[in-house]
Amino acid sequence: MFKKILIANRGEIACRVIKTARKMGIKTVAVFSEADRDAMHVEMADEAVCIGPPPSKESYLMIDKIIAACKETGAEAVHPGYGFLSENAGFCERLENAGIVFIGPKAHSIKAMGDKIASKKLAMAAHVTTIPGYTDVIDTAEQAVEIAAGIGYPVMIKASAGGGGKGLRVAFNDKETFEGFTSCKNEARNSFGDDRVFIEKYVEEPRHIEIQVLGDSRGNTLYLWERECSLQRRHQKVIEEAPSPFLDEATRKAMGEQAVALAKAVNYESAGTVEFVVGKDRSFYFLEMNTRLQVEHPVTELITGLDLVEQMIRVAAGEKLTFTQSDLQLNGWAMECRINAEDPFRNFLPSIGRLVKFAPPAEVPGQVRVDTGVYEGGEISMYYDSMIAKLIVHAASREQAIARMRDALNKFVIRGVSSNIAFQSALMRNQRFVNGNFNTGLIAEEYPKGFNAEDVIHDDPAILIVVGAAIHRRYLERNASISGQLPGHEYVPGDDFVVLLGGVQHPVKATPVSGGFKVAYAGEIHEIRSPWQFGQPLYEGTINGESFCMQVERRGLRYRLFHCGTQVDLMVLTAQAAALQALMPHKAPPDLSKFLLSPMPGLLTQIAVAPGQEVKAGEILAKIEAMKMENVLKAEQDCVVDKLLAKPGESLAVDQAIIEFR
Amino acid sequence: MYDIIHQLDDKREKARLGGGQKRIDAQHKKGKLTARERIELLLDPGSFEEWDMFVEHRCTDFGMAEDKIPGDGVVIGYGTINGRMVFVFSQDFTVLGGSLSETHAEKICKVMDHAIKVGVPVIGLNDSGGARIQEGVASLGGYADVFQRNVLASGVVPQISLIMGPCAGGAVYSPAMTDFIFMVKDSSYMFVTGPEVVRTVTHEEVTAEELGGAVTHNTKSGVADLAFENDVDALLMLRRFFNYLPLNNREKPPVRPTQDPADRLDMSLDTLVPDSPNKAYDMKELIIKIVDDCDFFELQPDYAKNILIGFARIEGHTIGIVANQPMVLAGCLDIKSSLKAARFVRFCDAFNIPVITFVDVPGFMPGTSQEYGGIIKHGSKLLYAYAECTVPKVTVITRKAYGGAYDVMSSKHLRGDVNFAWPSAEIAVMGPKGAVEIIFREEKSDPAKLADREAEYKAKFANPFVAGARGFIDDVIQPRETRKRIARSLAMLKNKKLENPWRKHGNIPL
Repeated sequence: MFKKILIANRGEIACRVIKTARKMGIKTVAVFSEADRDAMHVEMADEAVCIGPPPSKESYLMIDKIIAACKETGAEAVHPGYGFLSENAGFCERLENAGIVFIGPKAHSIKAMGDKIASKKLAMAAHVTTIPGYTDVIDTAEQAVEIAAGIGYPVMIKASAGGGGKGLRVAFNDKETFEGFTSCKNEARNSFGDDRVFIEKYVEEPRHIEIQVLGDSRGNTLYLWERECSLQRRHQKVIEEAPSPFLDEATRKAMGEQAVALAKAVNYESAGTVEFVVGKDRSFYFLEMNTRLQVEHPVTELITGLDLVEQMIRVAAGEKLTFTQSDLQLNGWAMECRINAEDPFRNFLPSIGRLVKFAPPAEVPGQVRVDTGVYEGGEISMYYDSMIAKLIVHAASREQAIARMRDALNKFVIRGVSSNIAFQSALMRNQRFVNGNFNTGLIAEEYPKGFNAEDVIHDDPAILIVVGAAIHRRYLERNASISGQLPGHEYVPGDDFVVLLGGVQHPVKATPVSGGFKVAYAGEIHEIRSPWQFGQPLYEGTINGESFCMQVERRGLRYRLFHCGTQVDLMVLTAQAAALQALMPHKAPPDLSKFLLSPMPGLLTQIAVAPGQEVKAGEILAKIEAMKMENVLKAEQDCVVDKLLAKPGESLAVDQAIIEFR
Repeated sequence: MYDIIHQLDDKREKARLGGGQKRIDAQHKKGKLTARERIELLLDPGSFEEWDMFVEHRCTDFGMAEDKIPGDGVVIGYGTINGRMVFVFSQDFTVLGGSLSETHAEKICKVMDHAIKVGVPVIGLNDSGGARIQEGVASLGGYADVFQRNVLASGVVPQISLIMGPCAGGAVYSPAMTDFIFMVKDSSYMFVTGPEVVRTVTHEEVTAEELGGAVTHNTKSGVADLAFENDVDALLMLRRFFNYLPLNNREKPPVRPTQDPADRLDMSLDTLVPDSPNKAYDMKELIIKIVDDCDFFELQPDYAKNILIGFARIEGHTIGIVANQPMVLAGCLDIKSSLKAARFVRFCDAFNIPVITFVDVPGFMPGTSQEYGGIIKHGSKLLYAYAECTVPKVTVITRKAYGGAYDVMSSKHLRGDVNFAWPSAEIAVMGPKGAVEIIFREEKSDPAKLADREAEYKAKFANPFVAGARGFIDDVIQPRETRKRIARSLAMLKNKKLENPWRKHGNIPL
């Protein structure tokens, strides 16, 4: 076994690999860019080597520097994680030449699977079901139309070198094929420098289901069942689970066996993933093989009880797999939510900055697992992926896994940067998702106009009302404890309140009971007990004996509650105050469409327009420098500038108005 | 006998209606509450004792003899806020526009006299059209009587003004001399001369809101300390604010027990100060993370944002916080921020509230507008305030403490009781770059050499240990333990006694 390995990655995956290595008694070396000096993986590893400036091109992708770091530290092997150099056959070869072991498949396997067209041919040869299509190079649009008609519409036009949704078109007729082919070819040439394009059958209501395979150097290859990764937003996976709620035993077995056949065909060693698209009739077709550890590997780990990183290290060290296909048992249900630093309410704009608060739910073996590479007080930089954590749950059934995930999401506290937790919570309540009746189009279909706060309707607002009342009552008790009161005329909080939520007055009665409050609302009694202390964001406790958790923020007189993706601001008043509050004028929030708002905190470097100027959509309005990056703000529609509300050189807060339009 | 009893009830009933239902409805229509409704919200339920309900004005000119309303446009009395005493006057706009008559002023003077006598704060709820013109000089005299009492009460009992309607002309000077001014957005304004006079004299076109609305005074002039959305918000937040203040200058501020452990560590503070000296960070995060229950009651949040002021608690005891804010103008001191902080420090000093100062200041703001504006005099006000201050003073330097600004910000030399520095602190006459350009002027043409010198200077002076070696810094502390160290210091300073030499009064550079 290796004595020391280097992890050529960062973030959660680097930390995750270090954990396993440590468990196996292997020393670890982290590499880091200048932006990651204080990163968690650097802190966790036994040694760390700086390999260059923040951009990954100059650091995490620098093969020379990584090899030098291995030499310098005496690392015998390299785990590449995912992304970066993980599927780079050249890196693999370079390591091999330097006498360093690559913890992953051999270069020839990576190469064989690296090209979409070549891998499809290989798959066909291995009797793996592939999508009907034309795999040779198509030269002209006319030829493309002919081929498409032969396959039968709808068809998909894809760039050979493409990925992540880039260079992809769907055509339902000859005209669309003609146009799609041309634009796809152009995009492929521009994006990948490779304009080879192929055409295949478009699978309707497709689900993305992938098979985890594991092979050793002795030719043993197993499949560790599937992962359902159909919940995607713009071809980025959002939620993954294992097993798939869609597969039956026969399909599961058939897919597994085909995946193994393909792996064997390329003498696959280490962990890998064979991706399939599965149609609504459970017909499945090979898509591609990922020759690396996947982001979503933990769900497989939880249902199999295996540590995939450990297996990869053992295989790389030449060890034989100690189990066979029949030894494997599929245990329960696992689900993973990717927690990204992005703002779901602003079209998932990446969010950067300081993690003022970061408190994931507590890990419970066999129930909740959190893979992360960030910490409270850490910085989310603009240079890398926005995924900051993976929240993974394990339970006996899918239903229980969803319940556990909801609970875990409620407990996940992130402040300072925005996160997609509200979106994930909303998905956990989406009926189609809960029923397992979905495909890769779910998010686009359910949220056609993006994700908005109105999309998350709480299914039991009473809980928000009663918890709000209980919190307020505690604040009043605290007020009553102040010193210097007039003896005999001390303040005694009353029990009757009105909770103001969404413009509606809800009368409640909140009386103290031992360890909590009894809140009467709408004819029902809710006994709330919570050890919550003032200032804590997490309000955990029980309501009528049932545990619950929500997040609370006191903002002036209002309490902002976050629960199951819903965010509400409520006010708790005495009946008298509520009656007076009702007299207060409703102030319509300013019409923000008339303003250019700063999308991020930063320095205003330039205003490109003047008052009275007519501006056409797309013209540059202002430039903001944030995190050393220039961000150009353009007009979204034709408009006339009325006033400039900020000056160049001014530091802007997020949402600060820069320009007012007429 | 019952007849007389019922007569009293009737008289009260009538007085309670102020200017009558029609005017009450008009007041509500403007989004404003009546004088009595405001008091009900401000004070603990049922605690209000009203005085002078039956006072009437004595004017007979211009048909005023027929226009008498009991109470004469102001409701006065006392009550409690969370059980603690307070005197209140609340002007009633429904009665002759809340205009100030001689008797109206007498009523206000009555509560102020009592407040001074018994050592209880005064809260004024202002909603008045101005002087009762029909009364002429009698009304003006009334204003002056109030002004005089504002001054006598200053530093004896806390005085708070909540502007909830018009407040114009001479009337503004009463709130101006109180300790804090809160305003209600859209329905209140304060100015010495109104938009019409402004138009005729200076030809400026300006609305009342632009000239003296809540937003103006909270962002541009710095006259006000807070702005609220409406009457309810303002009154209920004022209750919360009141919890921080002692009743008078002979008492310590109230204590509100807390469960928040005094020795709570916050590891995330270790990474608050960025690696780059030119990168900003939010000082408010530090404040919120070290005070009890994360409760920070900030004042003047939208004015001179380069300095933060406000109240919080440590181990249940009220503290005043002054902190440079590196997010705005790099946290430098300028005219506005010096004034903002100086007045706050003096309030704390007058009312026995310990002052905690967080320092990250690159110096005073340079430029002609600052010099012409008198930064010398205004900056010295903050210096004066800190130097004069005898309450416990604990200072934490988080990063830069350069030049004269270092001295000003509650340094050891100004009788700072406990002065801490974080390891990231740089206490020096100026930043490394500026310093080497002066010391090694002759090497200016050689950038490489200058860079070496800069590094040398940085290693030598840009740290807390030079100051520590001289005892100017009592200890260099880990950021994470800031709360604990401040709490311990304040506990140690609990019985601090320090007196300035006797004098009639000092001569602060006004």
